[in-house]
Amino acid sequence: MPIVTRPDFLPGLPKWSRKTLFALALFGICFAFAFPVLWLILTSLRPESGVYYVHRGTEFTLSSFAEVLSDERIVHAFINSALISTLATFFSLLVTVSSGYMLSRFTGPASRIWFGTIYVFRCVPYISWVLPLYFVTQSWGLYDTYTGLLLPHVAVHICFFSWLMKGFFDGIDPSMEYAAMIDGCTRWGAFIRVALPSALPAISALAVLCWLFTWNEFLFALILTGNHVPMITVVMAQFVTEMGLRWNLMAATAVMALAPAFLIALFGQKYVIRGLRI
Amino acid sequence: MFGEQQRFMLFLIAPAALLMLLFQVLPIMIGANASFRNWALYNPKKTWVGLEHYYAVLSDPAFLYVVLPNTFLFMILSVAGALVAGLALALLLNRPFRGQKLVQTILLVPLMVAPVVAAIMIRWIFNDQFGIVNVVLEAIGLEGQPWLVQRWSAFGIILLTDIWLWTPWFTLLLLAGLQSLPKEPFEAAAIDGTTTWRVFRYLTLPMLRSVIVVCVVIRAIDAFRTFDIVWTLTGGGPGRSTELFSLYAYVHAFLNLDLGRGSAAAIIGGLIILVIGVALYRLVDRIAKA
Repeated sequence: MPIVTRPDFLPGLPKWSRKTLFALALFGICFAFAFPVLWLILTSLRPESGVYYVHRGTEFTLSSFAEVLSDERIVHAFINSALISTLATFFSLLVTVSSGYMLSRFTGPASRIWFGTIYVFRCVPYISWVLPLYFVTQSWGLYDTYTGLLLPHVAVHICFFSWLMKGFFDGIDPSMEYAAMIDGCTRWGAFIRVALPSALPAISALAVLCWLFTWNEFLFALILTGNHVPMITVVMAQFVTEMGLRWNLMAATAVMALAPAFLIALFGQKYVIRGLRI
Repeated sequence: MFGEQQRFMLFLIAPAALLMLLFQVLPIMIGANASFRNWALYNPKKTWVGLEHYYAVLSDPAFLYVVLPNTFLFMILSVAGALVAGLALALLLNRPFRGQKLVQTILLVPLMVAPVVAAIMIRWIFNDQFGIVNVVLEAIGLEGQPWLVQRWSAFGIILLTDIWLWTPWFTLLLLAGLQSLPKEPFEAAAIDGTTTWRVFRYLTLPMLRSVIVVCVVIRAIDAFRTFDIVWTLTGGGPGRSTELFSLYAYVHAFLNLDLGRGSAAAIIGGLIILVIGVALYRLVDRIAKA
């Protein structure tokens, strides 16, 4: 039994009204957070004729989803987004886990310089390097290709994720690695066989975040791709201007863009929450 | 030449460093070069014009009196709003109640929503003819507003969308911080009969300070470069009244096809945020050591 209880929420009121108020407040907050998404889902289920009066009428249909899925460009964009997100997650982890490990386990000028570099580049606005990156990818023949979109995505994650990864490794006691090295492990052995397995929860958290960030990213895809590698966020933004008033189709596309992110986040939630406890 | 340890360190960071060199350092240098030239998309000569673009941007009234104030106002209000909301929600989730897991999952919903999708949703909700907000307003006898074509209501909606999107991020990090605080000071305060407010003010807040500052720094730098929600919600309009710095650079480079001027704007913005970023970092350092 705990020695002391927490102070009550709004002390002074009778217990039942306190409970009701608390429940109401909770409901209000949850509503504010979920309403836009619920409204979007509702809109996507309405037929073309009912979309302007979402709050009225009871006809529901899946036809908007069928129409969106029959559009080759959108399907293509979904596949591209999924592919790029997965590949970017894989390569980002490969690159940032080791860089974060270096930052955490070594002190001294090399480590400090690397940390400073990462911090400075984290501050640089995306537009300042994606704008000229357009020329770079064009002159290397990478514009509007998978590689030309994938590598900048990996590069953009380096700063933030190395920083997070350093935090994770800081929380792991290095004495196990020293013990392994005394027993004859090389540095690489200690890193791969001892440090990596104990950092697995953090790595899973990063994987979830990285996938979500890439899936949701817009500016890179807007500038670095054209018609060959459409990404779902760009296609949707074009929708707003091209399809103007067909809100049921907009909503259906948006709901489909949300779905994978939701699934990933729902399954990954516990890793993220555990992993972010720096 | 290098010791075994140096070689190990080098190998650990080499792939990351190489990628950054190719895809960040190099483009930034090319951008800096472009900002001194008349680098239009279809002008192969790329004449050197010195500081002309910088002068043009810095003497552009739209940049000085609309874009810069918008960007700073947006950065400050968005970070402050998400911090207050995120802290409140973290405190709420830190006390046990029935259905806590469910509430937590719902509060994390915006974290999964792409900014572009969020902008589309909000656009639909605030649509002037058919949006639910105006429908409700008219139902209770008020007049519907053309939300997205008036400067300050459009700015407010952009701000609200941003706060909605980023509050869960604050909640997550602050909740993690709250749960790792030691229990003893809180038990001592409860035995002494301290009021809730004073516990918050004199115990929770000071103990959370370093987590809060880190969150604020990360978010402030991100808020400065916001692009996607503004682009999808208003495109910088009505007129150019909700343009932020990233949009200004993008519009000049890709819509007006003046890459020199766009690059100059991007470099100016980059320098501004670099100064802010370094100042904020020193602040974190001082607070962490205090």
